[in-house]
Amino acid sequence: MEAYAQFAQTLLGAAKFCLLPLSVAILVRCVRSMLSERYEPELWAYLRLGRETLPVCHWENIIGRSRGADLRVDRAGIGRVHAVLTRSDRGLWRVYDVFEQGGVWVNGVKVGESGAPLAHGDVLNLAGTNTRFLDISPEKRGSLANARTSAGHTVPPFLTLIYLTAFQLLLLLEHALSASREHLPAIALGFCTLILLQWGCYNAMRLINRSGFEVETLAFYLSSLGMSVAASSTPEDLYKQILLTVASVVLFLLFGWWLRNLKRVSVMRIPMALLALALLAVNVALGGTSYGAKNWLEFGGFSFQPSELVKAAYIYVGAATMDRLYRRRNLFGFIGFSAVCVIALALIGDFGTALIFFVSFLVISFMRSGSIATVFLAVSGAGLAGFLAVSARPYIAQRFASWGHVWEDVYDTGYQQTRAMSAAASGGLFGKGAGAGWLKDIFAANTDMVFAVVCEELGLLVALCMVLAMLTLALFAVRSARHGRSAYYAIAACAAMSMLLVQLALNVFGSLDILPFTGVTFPFVSRGGSSLLSCWLMMAFIKGADNRRDASFAVRPADRDSGRRPEEDEGEVRRT
Amino acid sequence: MKKITNRAVSVLLIAALVVVGMVVYILRFVDNGRDWALYFSRANSGSTGELIDRRGQTLASFSPEGSLFAGDAFTRTANYHVTGDFWGRSGTGLLSAYWTDMQGYDLIRGTTQAESSILRLSIDTELNKTAYRALGEDRKGAVLLCNYRTGELLCMVSGPSVDPADADAVPGDGAYINRCLSSAFTPGSVFKLITAAAAIENIPDIEQRSFYCEGKTTVAGVDIICSGEHYTQTFEQALSNSCNVAFARIAIELGQDTMVKYVRDYGLLDGHELDGIPTAAGSYPTEFVGDPELGWSGIGQSTDTVNPFALLRFVSAVANDGVLTEPHMLLDGGEPERTRLLPQETAQRLGEMMNYNVVSHYGGEERFPGLPLCAKTGTAELGDGTSHAWFAGFLSDEEHPYAFVVLVERGGGGLTVAGELANTLLQAAVNG
Repeated sequence: MEAYAQFAQTLLGAAKFCLLPLSVAILVRCVRSMLSERYEPELWAYLRLGRETLPVCHWENIIGRSRGADLRVDRAGIGRVHAVLTRSDRGLWRVYDVFEQGGVWVNGVKVGESGAPLAHGDVLNLAGTNTRFLDISPEKRGSLANARTSAGHTVPPFLTLIYLTAFQLLLLLEHALSASREHLPAIALGFCTLILLQWGCYNAMRLINRSGFEVETLAFYLSSLGMSVAASSTPEDLYKQILLTVASVVLFLLFGWWLRNLKRVSVMRIPMALLALALLAVNVALGGTSYGAKNWLEFGGFSFQPSELVKAAYIYVGAATMDRLYRRRNLFGFIGFSAVCVIALALIGDFGTALIFFVSFLVISFMRSGSIATVFLAVSGAGLAGFLAVSARPYIAQRFASWGHVWEDVYDTGYQQTRAMSAAASGGLFGKGAGAGWLKDIFAANTDMVFAVVCEELGLLVALCMVLAMLTLALFAVRSARHGRSAYYAIAACAAMSMLLVQLALNVFGSLDILPFTGVTFPFVSRGGSSLLSCWLMMAFIKGADNRRDASFAVRPADRDSGRRPEEDEGEVRRT
Repeated sequence: MKKITNRAVSVLLIAALVVVGMVVYILRFVDNGRDWALYFSRANSGSTGELIDRRGQTLASFSPEGSLFAGDAFTRTANYHVTGDFWGRSGTGLLSAYWTDMQGYDLIRGTTQAESSILRLSIDTELNKTAYRALGEDRKGAVLLCNYRTGELLCMVSGPSVDPADADAVPGDGAYINRCLSSAFTPGSVFKLITAAAAIENIPDIEQRSFYCEGKTTVAGVDIICSGEHYTQTFEQALSNSCNVAFARIAIELGQDTMVKYVRDYGLLDGHELDGIPTAAGSYPTEFVGDPELGWSGIGQSTDTVNPFALLRFVSAVANDGVLTEPHMLLDGGEPERTRLLPQETAQRLGEMMNYNVVSHYGGEERFPGLPLCAKTGTAELGDGTSHAWFAGFLSDEEHPYAFVVLVERGGGGLTVAGELANTLLQAAVNG
């Protein structure tokens, strides 16, 4: 027994120091693949303007004098943002007049508010400047698309996934050495499920010829840390967590597939908004109260937080295609929807989530309108509302009062934060080993203080990798926005990542007394099924925006597009 | 799309804030990680340690398997202010004070296993129990007893106390404060020892003087009231009578500067350390006050406060011919520091006078059977009808060289309340 204990200790020590190199390897490979691999634009059509030929690289393009215009036409009388040129799923082009001065004509017919169709060879007149629109045939587009760098070209995802599997097996080993015997089967099942899921997804993607797997890899990496936290804190509840992980990944795939078709997505926005409001209404009416916030519903043994699902729905509703961006009433509709959501969350008492929604609202409305004035207005309005909330709810005021003073009251207002900081520091850089910490036994450690649990058990460096993984996803969302087909995907991906980052910041910095303690979850890692589900749904938005060649199952490849064949050969274009 | 992309910087802004926050955390972690980690580290460093009293009885221990307090609830409660706890509720217990030394920490490995730390204490658990029983559950107070030759502290009890092993215990008011170390109280007449020592050194004919008391004296129009009418008395009699009139006049004659000098020299104005645990400072009017106030301050009223541990240092110096052997609880701490607090003649004369107090006024053999006791009572009026009961002194006995301080907060009369407790304590200390 003595010898076994010693052997286990040695093994644990060795495993401990391998987790970090593996984390770093996974992260570096994903960063290289996502952020530094070549990412050429797609090419859909051309706009000929005198001797110039402007490539049309997106499904949604701004034509105008502005530097920020996708098709820059710097002629007298043309507005900074003069017209919007869009392409539908079926390959039909349409032009909209958004400047409303100077006018837009297609083949001499003035374009009205609802836009006008535009076909190959049509003459597009912008405030007196004539341009010619030249579409590209599907065959040609296919060969152009094939010339782009495919995802995973320089950094094959296969090896990254091998590293991830090794990481998960090491975590399992560490748990096997520290957990009690009765919980071993559940813990083993948990990690094996993750391994099977990720390889299953990977192979499915290979089958449909998709090679971008970094988003999934990072999500599985974070989910593994989440599984580790759940295994050490609540091993008796692990089967639920496993079930919800499987459900989350399945829903991620379904939702990603759903996002392929922009028309389908657009049509469902209103029903989705109604669904979100209904969920919140049910929550306001029937929610169970836990620690100030009544933010969960009970369903056959599963407690479920509607506000988590509403997060994905909110982004789904909030993001918009570009032709809608320039119609103000759409933005007002969204502002109204946001206000109802935030007020409902405030009624529920879930101010952390309300804050997350609010920041996402800012990001979405800024991305939609580009207006800093709107943002300032919203911020001051929310500042007032926040002040009222703080003065009306004593427990929130108390959290603000104890902020920065947690060590002065370690048994009451600073109870959680001081323990989180103490445990996090006691883990040092490499941690005490999975399952070997003490913070996990403190109330809400596996949700609100999860960063500290990871610091204590796996070390500060792995915890930093966890944060860096989220930052990588955010940078990737921004990078993808530039190449996206539609503003919808770009806005959705950026909003999803800002939502998750704000959530991360509130969770991590709240537990470390850098921000007031709000009690929100760390994406993927905090225990809780609805939270995990919502994080995976967010990843579908990123996949929707990932427009690298053959990268994402949520993007229909260009060469298999059901586009309309243009009547003329575009050889003419090349001659000019 | 370009415009949308440009607006995506809002996400980068949030990402930048996350990075800033992480940097702030890392800087704080590097700076305070040690304090944070050890505050609640309990046994997760893998370290082991033990507190053992002078009889070899384990008071508290911790190891990776857990931490525990030994003995029954009463023992744990009586010794709580010596041990402290693993959670830092009492700031002054040994576990709180030595917790960080009893385990390792470094930035890279976090908490680490320190060498097994066994702290051997001079404390006698049984004596603590006797003292705590005598003080009672309902009274607040402080009891200290040390060997004035070696400096070993045998008894330190503060009431109310709490059982550290009982998670559901409802602690009494101030149970986490060690009154011996962390508080200072109005001393009343025990303070006359200081005035007397200053008088012995500064008034050459003090022994030839006679002091007349008719129940009060008027200083600059203000009455200083005495506890009785003592009429003509010598210096020695004045101390045993605890005559306010005589000592107020002595203090006024000595002057405020001299009084302040002696109070300071005897260590009553400063905080000290008991094995590195800081103790509270006392107070005395150091800014100019008029004669009436000076008179009151000379008899331990006015704004005087005295910390029980500081008073123990003074009486043990008096007992040890003027040389203070610094009181301590840790037995393996090396040779204790020795400092001369007062000249040998002063100490001996004061000791004789304290013995005269006991023999002539406190009931001598009858109240304190078998004890060669030198002591002074104090009944510190608090102005609300209550008074702190003090009794401080020592045994002039080479076999049992014990100095002690007993304080019962708002306990009543010095002799009847604190004196009786002191007798119980001393009988137990001497007779085992």
